[in-house]
Order: sequence, then structure tokens, then C-alpha cells
Amino acid sequence: MVWHGFSATFLQLTHKAIEEDENLNEEIKIIERKEIPKGAIMLFGFPDVGLVGVIAASHMISELGLEEVAYMDSRLLPPIIVLHEGLPHSPVRIFGNQNVLLAVSETALQGELIYPIMHSLIDWGRGKGVKMMISISGIPVQDRQDLEELKVFAAASSPEMLKIAQDKGIEILREGYMVGPQAVMLQYCSTLGLPALTLLAQCFFNYPDPEAAAKALEQLANVTGVKVDVSKLLEKGEEIRLKARDMMKRTQQELTKMRKTQEYDIPLYIS
Amino acid sequence: MAEESSKRRRSIFDLIDEYFENLEAWAERVRETIMERPSWNCRTCTMEPLRDIMVTSNEVIVTVDLPYAEQNTIQVKPVSSDTIEISAKMRRKVSFDDFGITHYRGEFQRFHCQTRIPVPVYMDRMEIRFKRGILEIRLPRKHEYEIPIE
Repeated sequence: MVWHGFSATFLQLTHKAIEEDENLNEEIKIIERKEIPKGAIMLFGFPDVGLVGVIAASHMISELGLEEVAYMDSRLLPPIIVLHEGLPHSPVRIFGNQNVLLAVSETALQGELIYPIMHSLIDWGRGKGVKMMISISGIPVQDRQDLEELKVFAAASSPEMLKIAQDKGIEILREGYMVGPQAVMLQYCSTLGLPALTLLAQCFFNYPDPEAAAKALEQLANVTGVKVDVSKLLEKGEEIRLKARDMMKRTQQELTKMRKTQEYDIPLYIS
Repeated sequence: MAEESSKRRRSIFDLIDEYFENLEAWAERVRETIMERPSWNCRTCTMEPLRDIMVTSNEVIVTVDLPYAEQNTIQVKPVSSDTIEISAKMRRKVSFDDFGITHYRGEFQRFHCQTRIPVPVYMDRMEIRFKRGILEIRLPRKHEYEIPIE
């Protein structure tokens, strides 16, 4: 009797949590500004360790001449706009061309927003017939300044995607924890049966890392064929590090709240 | 001996005073952490660098990100028993225009910051190195007392 009461309460709470999640998703709108191509690859560059994803995304936008095709509108987002040439823009936007859609955030995201934001973007991408989702990010490494060659690791939503990465010579992140937008993306894509991959370049935890972003872009080209010249990114490394200080500082604060350092933890293996 | 007798003389009021002093110092540190301020200062023409502190069992490692810093201008000075001051000149002047910002005016050519070291250290045994634009300061920890294990 007690057990039935407990399980009923548990079920109610689970349904409530799902409803709340759906409500949060409904509170997020993706406004399209241009026609969205079908069957593109969708990429994610969100603020995280070393700002690898954001730096890589920013470089891709300028190198490939990607245009803003959609933006996120939601009361869940902090009351922030980004001004470009005096005009307001959402901090979360989608850029693209015929082959690529790139979701990028110009502000550090609070942990509690990551689920609804990622779910909305993935649902939207799924509606556009996106053929693959790839998140670009970093994996912090101690004594990063002593590393001459940076490695890129991959984790995937399915064994098939993992094999694609392995066949391209990318090392697999076999065991461990993942915290942040890429974690939500992999889990949700796995649930939906969408092919997804996360590329994680070794990087500084707390400092912007353009070299790591360049390395991640090289492996992105290896997996997808989307080639981006990274020479300017490496040339402008110091300038980028200087410009990215404030965003890195805000991101650090959010990463601390999100318990990002759990990625250093050794997991208890449960098969 | 003198130290022992001074310890014995401490009254409950001394202890309360010390407790409140410690509490105030802690509140000040929290305030410093929480207080939002720009990462640049137009009056002193300086930028505040990103930095990080790691405490290990035998040393404290402070790292500071110093893009554009001229290696021979980097200075690390202890300003008290638990605080160090870091400054460095940049190879080029940077202005708000360089960041596309037109509503502020100012140029910067130095990094400057102060960092509190959270545990006692030997300031005079500090080791410094600069690699890939990252300054690394290593300070051996002072283990002032040890609790014997029975």
C-alpha cells in the first residue's frame, strides 16, 4: 500500500517534470529570417571551457560568410540583446548556408536554461531534416601551456556515429562525465535517434583557447568535409584571447554553478 | 614562553574580537568576489587579466593569461603576506576602437591585478615562468603546524 502510494507520487512528479520541460520548450521560439535548407549539418558553438565552441563558431561565420538565418526569442533568456551596428540581436542565433546550420550563443548560459534551449534547437533542427548534429567544445587539461600538440576526442549519440569518428582517426572519450550543452545534446539526440557527435579539443579550463578551436575545426573538416581555413584564427590568437576575457569570466561563473569540474571525476563504472 | 603567557591572557572578549575581525575579513573577500566591475580601468590605462589559483599539497600555483605581454616587463611583487601584485606591459596599445566599441574612449597598454593567496606561502621562494602567453607563479606552502597522528 505504502509502495503504491510512493510509486503514484513518483509518477505524478515525473509527469510534472516532463510537463514543465515541455512548457519551458514552448516558451522558446525560433524565429526564421531566411529560408532554411533541408538536410544540412547542424553545429553548436556554446560558451564552455576555453570558449572553444564560441571561438570556432565565430571563425566559421566569418570564414564561410555564414548569414543569420534564425534567432531564439524567449523570456527564459536573460534580458540581454547584443548590439551590432546599433541594431538589436538575440544572444542565441543560428547562422547558415546551404550545407551548414550553426547555433551560437554570445552570452554565457545559466545551467537551468541549457535543457530547454538545447531541446528547442534540436527539435527545430529535426523539423528541418538536419542529417547530423555536431557540438564543438573543449575538454580541459592540466598544464595545457606545456602541450605542443592538442588532441581532439569524440563522443557520440550512437555506436554508428562513434564508428564514423573512430574511422576518421579521432580518439573516443570512453569513460567519464560530460557537463554542459554538449551533454544535453548527446542525450537528447540519442533518445530521438538523431545522429550526433561531440568534438572536444584539449584546452585551458579558464582561458580562451583559439588553438584548441582551430584543432576542433580541423577535426570537424575531417568528419564532415566542411573545410575552414584556420590560419587567421591562429594568427589572431592573442587578439582573440584579449577580446574574449569578459565572456570567459562570465562563462567561468556559470561553469562553477554547473559543477563543470565534475568532468575531472573518475566515474564509478556501472554496466 | 612569552607567547604562551600572552595566549593565556586572552580573554573571551579578545576571542570575540578576533572572531569578528576574521568574519569581516571573510565578508570583504566575498564582497570583492561578488562585486562586479569592468575588466579595464581607463584612469590607469590597465586591463585586468584572467587568472586562476590552484592549491596543491605543497605549493600554490597561480596562472595568469597575458596575451600581448612583453616577457621582460612582467613583474610579480608580494604586497602583503597573502597578496601578490602582477603587472605587465603589452607589446601594442589596445583601444576600445579595436573591439569595435565607440561609446567609450581609452587606450590600454598594461595588465594589472592583485591576487590573494588563500593559504600561507613562502613569498621569497616564488618561482615564475612564462610560456605561450601564460604566466605561472609557484609558491611553496608554509605548513605552520602539524597535528600528530596517534
